[in-house]
This record gives sequence, C-alpha cells and structure tokens, in this order.
Amino acid sequence: MKKSTRTNLGKTISYVLLTALSIIVAFPIIWLLFTSLKTYPEIYDFPITYFPREITFEHFGEIAGTSFFKNFLNSIIVSSGTAIMSLILGIFPAYAFSKYSFKLKRPMLVIILLLQMSPMVAFLVPMFSLLRNVGILDTYFGLIVSYLPFTAPITVVFLRSFFAGIPKEIEEAAKVDGASLYQTFVKVIFPITLPGIAAVGIYAFLFTWKELMYAMTFMTTQGKQTIPAFLQLFVSQYSTRWGPLFAGSLMATIPPLIMFIVLQRYFIEGLTSGSVKG
Amino acid sequence: MRQEKRAYKMVLPFLTIIVGLVVYLVGTNVILSFTTEGGKFTLLNYVEVVTDPVLPTVILNTVLWTVGSVGGQILVGFSIALLLNRIDFGEVFFRSILLILPWATLDVVAGVTWKWMYNDMYGVINDVLQNIGLIDQYLAWLGNTDLALPAVVIANIWKGYCLAGIFFVAGLQGIPKQLYEVAEIDGANPLRQFIHVTLPQMREVILTTLLLTTIWTINYFPLIYMMTGGGPGHATETFATYIYRLSFSFLEFHESAALSNILLVIIVFIAFFFLKKLNEGEGV
Repeated sequence: MKKSTRTNLGKTISYVLLTALSIIVAFPIIWLLFTSLKTYPEIYDFPITYFPREITFEHFGEIAGTSFFKNFLNSIIVSSGTAIMSLILGIFPAYAFSKYSFKLKRPMLVIILLLQMSPMVAFLVPMFSLLRNVGILDTYFGLIVSYLPFTAPITVVFLRSFFAGIPKEIEEAAKVDGASLYQTFVKVIFPITLPGIAAVGIYAFLFTWKELMYAMTFMTTQGKQTIPAFLQLFVSQYSTRWGPLFAGSLMATIPPLIMFIVLQRYFIEGLTSGSVKG
Repeated sequence: MRQEKRAYKMVLPFLTIIVGLVVYLVGTNVILSFTTEGGKFTLLNYVEVVTDPVLPTVILNTVLWTVGSVGGQILVGFSIALLLNRIDFGEVFFRSILLILPWATLDVVAGVTWKWMYNDMYGVINDVLQNIGLIDQYLAWLGNTDLALPAVVIANIWKGYCLAGIFFVAGLQGIPKQLYEVAEIDGANPLRQFIHVTLPQMREVILTTLLLTTIWTINYFPLIYMMTGGGPGHATETFATYIYRLSFSFLEFHESAALSNILLVIIVFIAFFFLKKLNEGEGV
C-alpha cells in the first residue's frame, strides 16, 4: 500500500516535470513560429509581444519570391544522392561485418568507427582542392562526394546492427533451398531489413539536409546551393531579415521533423545498437 | 576460407573508396602543413600556429565549450531519460518533443532562432529574465565577451542533448529489473539504488556517450558560426571556427592545414583514451 502510493506520487511528479521540460524545450521552435507570423512592426516592437497581435503570411510570401524553392529542390537532390550512394557503399561491408569473421575485421571496424569522428573542418581545404582538381567543384555530384566520408561510415555501423538482428536460421533455410548468396540477399535479407535500410538512408539524407559548412563552401553558384547555405545568407548580409529567414527556417525544418518523428523507432534502434553496444 | 574471401570482397570496395579518400585528404593536409607557398619544405607553419597569439584563446574556448556543452547535454539527457523511463503512457508524445525536436531542427535554424532570442533589444530571453527579476536591464548576450560563450553553450546544450538522451533511454531499458528488486529487499532507498545499481550498469553507455558527444562537440561548427561567427573578437572562437576562418577568410591554407593536423591528433588521442577505458571495463 505504502509502496504503490510512493510510485504513484513519483509518476505524477515525472509527468509534471516532463510537461514543464517539454514547454521549455519546444519554446525556441514555438518562438520561431510566432515570430514568422508577426508583421514587421510587431517583430521590432518594444516591449516585445508574445502572441502575434495580427497574423500575417507576408514573410512566407516573401520567401516564396526568392530562390527558396530552387534551393529546396537542390537540397532534395543532394540529400537523396548522398543517401543512395552511402547505402550502395555501405550495405555490403555492413553485411560482411555482421555475418562473417575474418582476420582484419576488428582493425577495419575501428577504422570505420574513427572515420565517423573525423572533423569536417579539417578536410575543408583539401576537399576543396580535390573537387576543383577533378573538376566537380560547384556541382551536385561534387558536394555528394564530399559528404561520403562522413555518411558512409555511419551507414556501415547502423546497417551492421540491423543485419546482425536477422536470425541465422532464416538465411540457412534459404541456403538449404538452394538460393545463392545474391538470391538470399534480394529475396530474404533485403525485405526483412528494408525499414532499417530506409532509416539509415534517411539518416544520411538528413545529415546532408542540415549540413552548412561544405554546402556554402563547395557550391559557389547561389542557384545551386542547398537550404542551409541559402538561409545563412540572410544573416551574413548587412542586416538580418528576420521575417523571411524565419519563414524559410520553418519550412526547411518540417521535412526532417516529420521523418524523425515517423522513423524514431528505427533511428533509436540503429543508433543505440550500432554505437552503444557495438 | 571461402567465407573470408567473400568478406574481403564485400569490404574492400568501401575501404578503397572511403579510406582512400580520407587518406588522400589527410595526406594533402600533411603536405600543405610542411610546405611553403612555393612548395619548399618548412616547419614554419607549425611555428606560426603554435605562436599565434589567438591560439591560447582558441584552446581555452574549445575546452570550455566542450566541457560545458557535454556536461550539460549529459546531465539534461540523463534526467530526461530517467523521467521517460518512469512513465507508462504518453511516451511517444514526450519522446517526440524531448528527444527528437531539437535534434531534428536544422543547425542553421537553431543558430538563428537562438540568436534572435538572445537579441539585445527584441530578445525574448532578456524580456523573460527581466520579468522574473533576474536582470534589471537588457543584456547584449552575444555582443559581450564574457556572456557570449556561456550563451552559445546553452544553445548547444539545447541542440545536442537528444542523442545523449536516446543513448541513456536505451541503456536504462537494458538494466535487468531484478537488480532493483534485490536492492529494494536490501532496503536501499531510490538514491542508493541509483548510485549502486543504475550508475554501474550504465558505465559503458555513459562512456560511449561521453566519447561521441565530446568529439562531436569539438567538431561542431554551424551553431557558433550562425550565432557569433567566433566573435565578438575571438570570444567564441573554437578550433572548428578558427580553422574555418584561417582557411576561407584569411586564406592561410598552410597554417590551417597545420592546425587541422593538430586537431586530428587531439581527436584520435581522445578516442583512444575512451576506447581504452571501455576495454578496461570489459575485463572487470
């Protein structure tokens, strides 16, 4: 009796604290939304107002009049390209690491784990000169290539954990039925791990979607830039244009937010089993 | 044997392309860092970097930025994980806000939003703090050399604690329930249960999380770049922003290569330190 009252009280306190924390954590995004709906005089009103007095969509109209949707499309192209190429590169080594034992397995795995810790800024200049020498600077393909050293290792680490989760019996059954490795992969392993593979691909997609430094350095033509590179222009110019910047920020946040929320189970599974238990 | 051959066939294309690329990039940096503009061998780039009057500030800022951000992220992440572990319903709702929302926000967007909230005239943070009586006049958070670093650290705690939270949620779920039942029978109160059951069981998860967040924080660039650009002066300059500035504002490619190599060595050193700690734990 005493114990259950204590747990109930503990639960109530937990809910109260979680609600309070949720409000604090969500506040910056709510503030972003509110500001994007305020008129310019109200954005620069003193003292500040919390709820918009009158709601306006003028900033969304203004951002639509810029190259925003072109940049949005660029982001989709570069992010999809990075995701697909990371998966193509990562899927086979991930399978080998999860199913086979071989002499250099451990050192190779350590190298891959170290790769995902490499600082992007340290490779900025060499990557720039590499892309320029090959002639793919300021191209979608060049930007995609520049992301691969960072996304492909994560793909291996994630996928390894998903492949390791397939019971051996399923593969052995396919082998007994006379399926080749290729057939087993296409008909058995691929369908089972498809959600995991999709989540990994989307992780690489989102990495690219958010990335700023390489995007603004390797894409010199403004019309080819991805969203982060486009949005930062609003700040680096003489005075920040908060209204359209916030409208654009909000629209740029919606795709990743939906993807993260829908796929949270897979991200969490892949991240934790890949990085924590690996 | 056939299996081994097949494994190498699967791994080698990846290693050739990705590791080859990284080796090329590191190699380029090494060559750049040891040569002059004319291509002659020199150690002067390292001498210049080490004697750069800004370097002590950069090192101190990087340490404060990393310790503050990682400490805060681990603390917030752990608290939220503990709370989420106690509730029975509404978990998806709270998880979506507390473990996903800041993580899903674009770094650039987080940067401009916090920059706006810290604004010295129209910033909501000044307004709130004044209303509850903590400050009596508006502060220029990002324009003040003493306040700028703590301000970006707070923004970074918000942006980055989710991963720690996710790792800790998974870690807590992995602790066998019987351990708590035994501790309860022994009369251990919740605090003692936390110290003697939860923390030791979470050792590996905490170490891994520390390793990953530490290295990601040292490398993390866009938030500072958007909020302060490393300023005012060099008040929020870290390795990441300074190497960027050396490269693309000052066009000092040889010096930035030298500093990049120093950063790489530091990161590898930290990684091996943690990996060694993790391996020690396995022996116990």
